[in-house]
Amino acid sequence: MAVRKILHIDLDAFFCSVEEQMNPALRGKAFAVGGRPDQRGVVASCSYPARKAGIRSAMPMSQALRLLPALIVVPARHHEYGKRSDAVMAILRNWTPILEQVSVDEAFLDLSDLPEDLETLAKKIQTEVQQKTGLPCSLGGAVNKLVAKIANDVGKSRSAGNGPPRAILIVPPGKEAEFLAPLPVKTIWGIGDKTANRLAELGIKTASQLAAADEEFLISQFGKFGRMMKQSAAGHDDSPVMVEHAVKSISQEITFERDLADRERLIQTLHDLSAQVAFRLRSNSLEGSTVRIKIRWPDFSTHTRQVTLAQATCQDGVIFSTACGLFDSIWAPGRPVRLIGVGVSGLQTPFRQLPLWDSMDEKERRLLTAVDEVREKFGKTAIQRGDQLKPGFSHPDGKRGQH
Amino acid sequence: MKVSVSQQHLAHGLGIVSRAVAPRSTLPVLANVLIATDEGRLRLSATNLEMGISCWVPAEISEEGAITVPARTISDLVATLPNDKVVLTLDERSMTLNVRSGQSVTDIKGIDPQEFPPMPPVDLEDGVELNVADFKEMIQQVAFSASVDEARPVLQGVLLSLAGSELVMAATDGFRISIKKSVLSSSAGKSLNVIIPARALTELSRIVADGGQMITMHIPRDRGQVIFHTKDIELVSQIIDGNFPDYKVIVPRTFKTRTVTSAAGLLKACKQAEIIARESNNIVRLNILSNSDQIGTVEVSAQSEETGTNENKVDATVDGPGLAIAFNVRFLREVLEVIKSPNISLETNMNNTPGVIRPLGDDSYVHVIMPMHMG
Repeated sequence: MAVRKILHIDLDAFFCSVEEQMNPALRGKAFAVGGRPDQRGVVASCSYPARKAGIRSAMPMSQALRLLPALIVVPARHHEYGKRSDAVMAILRNWTPILEQVSVDEAFLDLSDLPEDLETLAKKIQTEVQQKTGLPCSLGGAVNKLVAKIANDVGKSRSAGNGPPRAILIVPPGKEAEFLAPLPVKTIWGIGDKTANRLAELGIKTASQLAAADEEFLISQFGKFGRMMKQSAAGHDDSPVMVEHAVKSISQEITFERDLADRERLIQTLHDLSAQVAFRLRSNSLEGSTVRIKIRWPDFSTHTRQVTLAQATCQDGVIFSTACGLFDSIWAPGRPVRLIGVGVSGLQTPFRQLPLWDSMDEKERRLLTAVDEVREKFGKTAIQRGDQLKPGFSHPDGKRGQH
Repeated sequence: MKVSVSQQHLAHGLGIVSRAVAPRSTLPVLANVLIATDEGRLRLSATNLEMGISCWVPAEISEEGAITVPARTISDLVATLPNDKVVLTLDERSMTLNVRSGQSVTDIKGIDPQEFPPMPPVDLEDGVELNVADFKEMIQQVAFSASVDEARPVLQGVLLSLAGSELVMAATDGFRISIKKSVLSSSAGKSLNVIIPARALTELSRIVADGGQMITMHIPRDRGQVIFHTKDIELVSQIIDGNFPDYKVIVPRTFKTRTVTSAAGLLKACKQAEIIARESNNIVRLNILSNSDQIGTVEVSAQSEETGTNENKVDATVDGPGLAIAFNVRFLREVLEVIKSPNISLETNMNNTPGVIRPLGDDSYVHVIMPMHMG
């Protein structure tokens, strides 16, 4: 295979950069985007001055404020971030159609067909993104996705100073193993704390040690994954840049800051998550036929239950009532819950049998379309169902995840 | 009661009434067949309270009487008896029916006929005379479009409208509608609108034998029932209360494209497509292509993530612009199966507006079908 040119691009402190654009007074200040501490919110993104104080993403906001009482807390405006993310991705698509968007602020590009070297391309892209959107970004480049991503992380960590790193780090072809060699094994994809600890017990701490380890031995210890780890540690990765990231399921989950055992609030959360999942289904023109819920107990053991519907759906109500049924089948009253999630799989393009005249179902569908349009224009909380507005009901908030 | 009846007649009669038996009802007598002597014949009746069927078979009656016995027991028994005379004798004291045929003797424990829901006699003078063959065809072409959704009782019925000598039947499940008109040989002299359960009409068309005979429809005042009567069969059904959708406004008045094609050809393509489409929401795509001189093609295709794909081409005369439209293939197959004419026309406007299917050269039937649409 010809040598590929892969770039990994990551917008620097994306949410914060957007907030600084919209409110220049924030520039150079220590601030964090996320939920309010009294609502048990977490840090979604924090500015570089805030990072200096030890604040990190996913940290509870209350803890962040203990570290830095002067920290400015800015509520998240995901709608704004989405618009700017789309603009950046559009610029990147002008460079190559072979683009894999990993998240709202992260993408891989395959630039193998362009004559320039990666260093030049990375600089040009960085400049164009900055000029056209005002957003700083960092890039890593290599012959494959694995090394490009790690190069980007390493590049950013090398930067010092109070501003965004605007890092560019290119690993030349053939130098992958050499580049990875001194890095800790945890840098490699798929190696988490558990595996890293087990490797450390076996005397393997760096990528070079892992790359040099006996393959049979690794397989005996870790199964097939052992071989993959060794390959990755040597900088080998032939996974393609996936243009169509086939979505297999859409799910939303929430980790409560404090374990929750109140049924009414758990059900309310399911209602919320179901509405979010349904909204994402509709905005992607999808319907799903399997509804799944996930519950994690305080001891971190996790339960999932799923059921397949007779007809695929993208409606809040159907997903919610199904999720409730599943919830009651695994939850015993009083049992505390650490995390709860709702997901829908079996996704398909919704071909609906049109009715001869409007039925209730059709009316519900049109109502949801109208609600979605209002939310698109005025934000997610602009319009809500009446039962969401119960007086005196404080909504459990926490860390939200999307998959 | 003591009667002698031919095994064939008895088996035939039991076969007809058994469709109205309610085997799992909380009322035990509904799992039974009423066997009663009736003016020189033997009457067999069963009812599930929604629908009742009676059948009269020839019999030699030596002693009048009536009993109800479990439908399954008597039907299974009679089916195994030789093609010979069967003698039924009732022991009224023990409510036991003795069934004797050749060397075979069976005693079946029954339930008092007084417990059987009454089936009052009908005043046949007041009825509407219908030709059996025409009426059966109407049912066959319409009833399949009724809904099976228990939550929409009105749509589980077939609307039957009579005005002068014109009889119209319509049924819809909300996604398609079948409308069939027929002209009675003589004016009924009255108008009526009644919604009859599609299940009862389908049953009626199954049990009434073809032939030159007439069927009488009777709607007794204030009973909420409709009764169909031939000389040896009677079907009583509950009438569905409610307002039937105004079907006349549903039929589109205009179209942009008219596609004429072979009913059998399109049906075959649909049946093949359904094998694939049944794994993917029954979606079949029709790509109507129009060329010059109206010589066109209908491409019929289905695809399923798991099973595979199917494609077919059917020759057609296409008048108007081409169109890609998707339908539920089962709906399409079901209407094509009941059309008798060799050719059909499909009238379309857009891929999200109703299509109209008509048998070519037959104005008495029209079928409106909503497409399946993305998003």
